Amino acid sequence: MTDLALDGVRVVEFCDEIGSYCGKLLADLGADVIKVEPPGGGWQRHTPPYFRDEEGVDTSLQFWVHNTSKRSVVLDLETDEGRSLARRLALTAHIVLEDFPPGYLATRGLGYEELHAEKPSLVYTSITGFGQFGPHAQYAYSDIVGQAMGGVMTLAGEPEDPPNMIVGNQANICASIDAAQGTLLALLYAERTGKGQHVDVSAQEAISMAQETAMQTWDLQKRNRVRTGEKGMIPVSLPGWGVYKAKDGWVQLMVLAPAGKDFPALVDWMRERGMAADLDQEPYASLCSQLSMPFVTQVMMNPESAMSVIPHLVHINEVVKAFIATLGAVEAYEEGQRRQLLVGLVSTPKDLAENRQLRARNWYRSVEFPDLGAVVEFPGPPYRLSETPARIGRPPRLGEHTEEVLAELR
Amino acid sequence: MADLPLAGIRVADFSWFGAGPIAGQTLAAFGAEVVRVESEAKIDSLRVVQPFAMNPDGTYKTGYNVSGYFNNFNAGKLSIQLNLNTEKGQELAYRLIERSDIFLTNFTPRVIEKWNLRYEQIRQVNPRIIAAYAPMQGLEGPHRDFLGFGAVLTPVTGISELSGFPHRPPIGVGTNYPDYVVNPGHTVVAILAALRYRERTGKGQLIELPQIESVVNVLGTAVLDYLANGRVQTRAGNRHPTAAPHGAFRCKDDFDSINSPDRWVAIACRTEEQWRALCAAFGHPEVADDPRFATLAARKANEEELEALVGSWTRERKAEDVMELLQAHGVPCGVVQNAQDLLERDPHIKARGYYQYLDHPETGRSAYDGPVARLSETPGYHRSPAPLLGEHTWEVCTRILGLSEEEVADLLAEGVLT
Repeated sequence: MTDLALDGVRVVEFCDEIGSYCGKLLADLGADVIKVEPPGGGWQRHTPPYFRDEEGVDTSLQFWVHNTSKRSVVLDLETDEGRSLARRLALTAHIVLEDFPPGYLATRGLGYEELHAEKPSLVYTSITGFGQFGPHAQYAYSDIVGQAMGGVMTLAGEPEDPPNMIVGNQANICASIDAAQGTLLALLYAERTGKGQHVDVSAQEAISMAQETAMQTWDLQKRNRVRTGEKGMIPVSLPGWGVYKAKDGWVQLMVLAPAGKDFPALVDWMRERGMAADLDQEPYASLCSQLSMPFVTQVMMNPESAMSVIPHLVHINEVVKAFIATLGAVEAYEEGQRRQLLVGLVSTPKDLAENRQLRARNWYRSVEFPDLGAVVEFPGPPYRLSETPARIGRPPRLGEHTEEVLAELR
Repeated sequence: MADLPLAGIRVADFSWFGAGPIAGQTLAAFGAEVVRVESEAKIDSLRVVQPFAMNPDGTYKTGYNVSGYFNNFNAGKLSIQLNLNTEKGQELAYRLIERSDIFLTNFTPRVIEKWNLRYEQIRQVNPRIIAAYAPMQGLEGPHRDFLGFGAVLTPVTGISELSGFPHRPPIGVGTNYPDYVVNPGHTVVAILAALRYRERTGKGQLIELPQIESVVNVLGTAVLDYLANGRVQTRAGNRHPTAAPHGAFRCKDDFDSINSPDRWVAIACRTEEQWRALCAAFGHPEVADDPRFATLAARKANEEELEALVGSWTRERKAEDVMELLQAHGVPCGVVQNAQDLLERDPHIKARGYYQYLDHPETGRSAYDGPVARLSETPGYHRSPAPLLGEHTWEVCTRILGLSEEEVADLLAEGVLT
């Protein structure tokens, strides 16, 4: 039995989609996270896909991955009894997490002010779309709205398509990750001084950091970054740069980037496979020998040289495309990387499940579901702590721990 | 400063690019003293890429200190120049680690080995150190030395395959998404948990954050769907299995939105009430009961038609007006904002004071992303703008490393502090 970093910390969690990943991070690190759920469960328990496609409150896969290592208590906050029990339970905690619209819990006697007055050391973290104050604090929220308002969607996708959202409820994820940081900072402070506090996290602000350089580009240059799609920032087809179709999937090549071997190493590989075509002949050979991002940038700055070179680059890229099309995607990734070429596999979920690195390091964790008669592999934790490794405990059935937790309160 | 959660904690920040430095910046904002170790011999590339601050004549400023990309990730830190390719540089690195609580790096395992910065080595000088390594693939394993950075991580972790429209190739999401919140955020969570453990037991530890594991973790549902059900999910655009309409809808062009005049709103109808409210808000209450759209199942079956209809309602209205209209009716809706919106036009962000403006000697008054988590009693903030390269070399050598002025002068002359 190894030590747990958050051993002895009790968290009472009133969270659904926005904040449950925060609770998961704390629970996997060893906190006793008691999730208070409404009768019938919240949104996440009703989100497909379900285990074996059998719909039910205890089989949502999204609920599973965001609620590992927790306990579940069902309380109806719309009744006096439920509120009173929730209040007593919350006061046993070091940390309260919640993701209701601002004010919802306060009107039920469970707000920060009330609980903090009774327990000054309490850390109380609110995770919402737009935060606790400000003109949009009461705006209706959903993950895609957070991604839109946070500035990341405008950067994603082809210019002629609608802006793209990022997969996996990333506004909620970012909010949860920031909330976990804020909560642990407040916990460290409370354990040292006895003083608790309110942590306010806005999903809009949390994901806005992921605008990369867009914010600074406006601030310094009064220019908006926009979505540039497949071609990226340089609007011509560059050899060894971008997404390529392999025999059974896709790979991303970034051979022109300053890291790793340069373009000639890619041509060597093609030549070995008999796929270099006419790249060893002029005018292609001398171009291939110096292809790099600085070279391309240089060429593009002079319209005349650009006009003469672009058709050659297009041809070279056609040869690269034809070569990649003969390879399996995983083969292109692993062999390309072995040759120190910047090649990334566009991993499918299956590729991730079979990923040689993740498997060699035993990242996936088996979780037992006795009720379902199943053992299911789960993604492992995001980090490896040598003295206090994170755990991945089975997510609770709805209300699984109601009796045992309420018994403690009696 | 004495009342911030990390007061008295020192961080030896040997990181670069995005993920590592952002983690260090968060620790600095909440009271840690963060010493960023840099060298011209291995310059952080973010110091020399766009966006650069501009001169009044419209040309870009030049040098190591004018990139907004670098500066926004390094506020509140001290910068020391230390050439780790020299033996003396490595000795000074050990001296700094000896006097620090946290060691942070995202250099590759090869570079860490070259500079003798493996955990087994640095714990010899400081057994209480919390040492956080954030390599791309991990410190061990068959792909340990694979090349990569955020742009490669996006496809490798599955984000590219699962994001965007199904009729398009997996082009990614326009940024190196994992670098900015997911990886630095997870790193800080692990460090704070380790700090708590150390406060209770006195024990330091090794933290390894293989970036691939950190990122695949946040796509858990799709991975679990394969592991548990054998289903291989792919990208589904902006749609949602249990909400419709759900997506981005074009509004009236806005030429005040500089070089980005096409305007969009995101709309998510998750309930029947929201769907009815949407129709009513646009003045078409009868559409809510149209058999093609009356239930979620019907709307999903006729989604293309549904999206065209909603798009026709938004197209002639200003995006901000659509947002206010739908929000007044309780429908989740938000403008697809750009950076100009966030910095200048979003009244909410302004009222919350999210961006912090700091006076930087070379870029002038510049915006920084504020700490996201607002702590009511111990609010974090950037105490200073990003440091100039080597701005604090002298200070760190004398005050923290305890060198005499003569020693520092000698090291400067020997090229160790470059």
